[in-house]
Amino acid sequence: MRVTDRSIFEAANRNVGAARERAELATQEASSGLRVIHPGDDAAAAGQIAGRRLDETRYGAIKGAVDAANDELASTDGALDAVGAALSRARELAVQLANPTYSAAQRASAAEEIDGLFKTVVAQMNTRVGQRYVFGGFKDGAPPFSAAGVYLGDPGVRQVEIAPGVRQAVSVRADVAISGVGGGTDVLGTLSALSAAMTANNIAGIQNSLNGLDAGIIQISSARSQAGSSMVVLDAASAASRAGRDAATTSVAGLAEADTIESASKLALAQRALDASLTASARSFQLSLLDKL
Amino acid sequence: MADLFSILSQASGSLSAHRNSAATASHNLSNANTPGFARQRAELQAMLPAEMINGGFIGRGAGLLTVSQARDRFIEAQIPGSMGQAAFSSAHSAALQGVSALDPDGGAGLTKAIGDFYGSLRALSQNPSDPGLRQVALSTARSMSQAFNRASQSIEAAKSGIDAKLTGTVAEANTLAANIADLNNQIQVARASGGEPNDLLDARLAATDRLAALTGAKPVPDAKGNVSMLLANGTALVNENRAAKLSLLPNAANGGHLAVQLTRTDGTGPMAMQQSEFGGEAGGLLAARDTTLDKAAKSLDTLAFDLGNAINLVHRTGFALDGTTGRDLLVTGATSAGAAGRLAVDPTVDANPSLLGAASSAGTVPGDGTALLALIGTETQALSTGLDASGALSNLISDFGASASRLAAAAQHDGALLDNVTAMRESVSGVSIDEEMINLTKAQRSFEAVMKVMKTTDEMLQTLLSLK
Repeated sequence: MRVTDRSIFEAANRNVGAARERAELATQEASSGLRVIHPGDDAAAAGQIAGRRLDETRYGAIKGAVDAANDELASTDGALDAVGAALSRARELAVQLANPTYSAAQRASAAEEIDGLFKTVVAQMNTRVGQRYVFGGFKDGAPPFSAAGVYLGDPGVRQVEIAPGVRQAVSVRADVAISGVGGGTDVLGTLSALSAAMTANNIAGIQNSLNGLDAGIIQISSARSQAGSSMVVLDAASAASRAGRDAATTSVAGLAEADTIESASKLALAQRALDASLTASARSFQLSLLDKL
Repeated sequence: MADLFSILSQASGSLSAHRNSAATASHNLSNANTPGFARQRAELQAMLPAEMINGGFIGRGAGLLTVSQARDRFIEAQIPGSMGQAAFSSAHSAALQGVSALDPDGGAGLTKAIGDFYGSLRALSQNPSDPGLRQVALSTARSMSQAFNRASQSIEAAKSGIDAKLTGTVAEANTLAANIADLNNQIQVARASGGEPNDLLDARLAATDRLAALTGAKPVPDAKGNVSMLLANGTALVNENRAAKLSLLPNAANGGHLAVQLTRTDGTGPMAMQQSEFGGEAGGLLAARDTTLDKAAKSLDTLAFDLGNAINLVHRTGFALDGTTGRDLLVTGATSAGAAGRLAVDPTVDANPSLLGAASSAGTVPGDGTALLALIGTETQALSTGLDASGALSNLISDFGASASRLAAAAQHDGALLDNVTAMRESVSGVSIDEEMINLTKAQRSFEAVMKVMKTTDEMLQTLLSLK
C-alpha cells in the first residue's frame, strides 16, 4: 500500500484521538465511580436502574410509614397496659372491699381511688402521638374520651401499607376495647358503677362489678394482643422493607457503579495505549526525505 | 540535416518539459494537505524525429505530453455513499448523546421525583391531618410535575437545537449545490479548449463529497462530463449547471419545528421534502428529531398523561379536610400530546393543602387516610401501555438508551468504513512528499543535463566559428 504524508498525519490524528477518547472515558469512569451515566452507556442497565431506584425509594418509604405506625402501636400498647393495670387495681379493691369487715368510710375512701383509676383510664385513652389521638379512630383531632368517659371518636381503623398493595390494620378500636361496642363490657361504666357502689357502701353492687372488671381485663388483654400481633407483623414488614430497600440499593450499585479494580486497570491500560500511540505517531513524523536532502 | 542549432532548439524544448515536471512536483507539494486534491503527473514523451539523416532517425528531445491525475474511479465511487452514511449515523448519534433528561441517575430527576411523591403520600397516609405532611405531599407533587416539565423541555430543547443546526446544514448545502453547478459549467468550458482541468475536477470532487455528507445525495456523472447530485427519491439537488434550493419552514403540525422544502432546478416548487429523502447530516438530524426524540417525547407525554389521570381518578374519590370531594390533584390536559410539558398541581389544591383528598368519606376526616392508600396504589397500577409507572419509565429510558447505543455503534462502524475507503483513496491520489522530492530532484537533474547539452553545443559552435 502506498503511504502518503497526509495519510500518516490523518492516521495519527485518528489513532491518537481514539486513544485519548478511551483514556478520557476510563478517567471519567474511575473518577466518578459510575459506568452508566447516559442511557446509551448500557440501555438495559439504565432502564433497570430507574426501576430499582423507584423500588429503593418505595421500600424506604414503606419502612418509614411502618416504623411510624409501629411507634404509635407501641404507645397504644403502653396505654392499654396502663389501663389493664388500673383495672387490676380496681379488681383488687373490689375483692378487698366486698368483704363485710370493711367500714363504709373505708369503702368511701376506696371510691376515691376508683375515681382516680377512672381518670387514669380516660387519660391513657386520650394518649396523643404527635398531633393525633391514637384511640380516636379517624376523629383523631380531639380527645376521644370526655371526662365522663363518653367515647367521642369513631370506629375507624387506620391501615398502613406493609408491602406494595398489602395493608395492615394499625389501630385499636377504643369503642370496642373500652366502651364494649359489639357486646363487650363498658370498662369505664364498670368503674363508675364500682365507684358508686363503694360510695353507697353497697357490698352487693361491689360484688356485681367483679364480673365486669374481669371481662374488662380480658377485653383490654385482647386489645393488647391485637396491638401486639400488629406490631409483630409491622416488625416483619419493616425488616422486609429494609431488605427490599437494601436489595434495590445493591442492585443499583451493581448496575450503575463501576468496579474499582476493573476501572483502575482499564485506566492504566488506556493511558499506556495513549502513550504508545503518541510515541508511535511522533516517530512516524520524524522520517522524511526532507531532512536528508 | 541535424545541425548544431537544431540541437540547441531541441534542448530548449526539453528544458521546458523538465521545468514542467518540476512545476508539477512543486504543485503537488504545495497541495499535499489540500482536501480533495489528487496528485498530478507530468507525462513526458520523446519528440518524434522530423527526418531521416543518412539512414537514421535523429530524435528531437523531450516534450510534455499531458498532466494527468492519479485517481481510482472504483474507490472514488464508494466515497460519497460512505460519507453520507457516516454523517447520518454520526449526526443522529450526537443528537441523542446530547440529551441528558433521561439519564437514569440525575437528568431531569424523574425517578427521584416520582419516588418522593409516593413516599410523601405514604407518610401522609399515617397522619392525614398533619398540615406539615400535607404541605410536603403537595411539594413533592409539584416536584414530580416539574421533573416531567424539565424532561419534556430538555427533549424539546434538543429538537430546537437540531433545528438550529439544520439551518446551517441547509445553507451550506445550497452553497455547495450552486458551486457544483458552476463548476460543471467551468469544466465544460475548460474541456472545450482542450486539456483536462484537473484542479477544477478536484474542487468539484471535494464539493460533491461534502454535499453527499450533508444531504446523502449521490453524484451521477453524465456523458458531457457534468456531475448531477440526486437525493434518495431521485430529486436533483444539482442538474448539470443548475442547482435546486433547499429552504426551511416552521411546521405547525410538528410543534413548529422546521420542515425542509425544495425549489427544483427548473425553478418550480417549493415542494415539501420527507425525512426519508435525506441521508447524510441532514437526514441524521431529521431522523433524530422526528423519530427517536419524538418517540421519547411521546412516551414521556403518555406516561405523564396516564399517571396524572390515574392519580386524579383516585383523588376525585378522596375527601378533603373540609369534607368536600371530586377534585383533581394534577392538571394533565385533555390529550396526551404535550402532557409532560404542562403537568402541574391543580392550583386550587396547591393553594390549600387541606383540600388534598385523603379520607374515604366526609364523616371520617381528618384522620382517615384510606383514600391516600388508594392513591399510593396508582404507583403499581397498570397504565395504558400495560406497564406501571416504574415499568413505563424504565421502558422509556431503555428504549432511548438502546437507540443511542445502536447509533453510537453505527457511527463508529460507519466512521471506520469511511476512514478505510478514504485511506484507500489517499493511497492512490494522495501526495507523498518523499515521492515528490524525488520527482523534483529528478526533474532538476534532467534540467541540469540538458543545460550541459546546451553548454557543450555552444562550445562546439564556438569551435566551429573559431576556424580560420
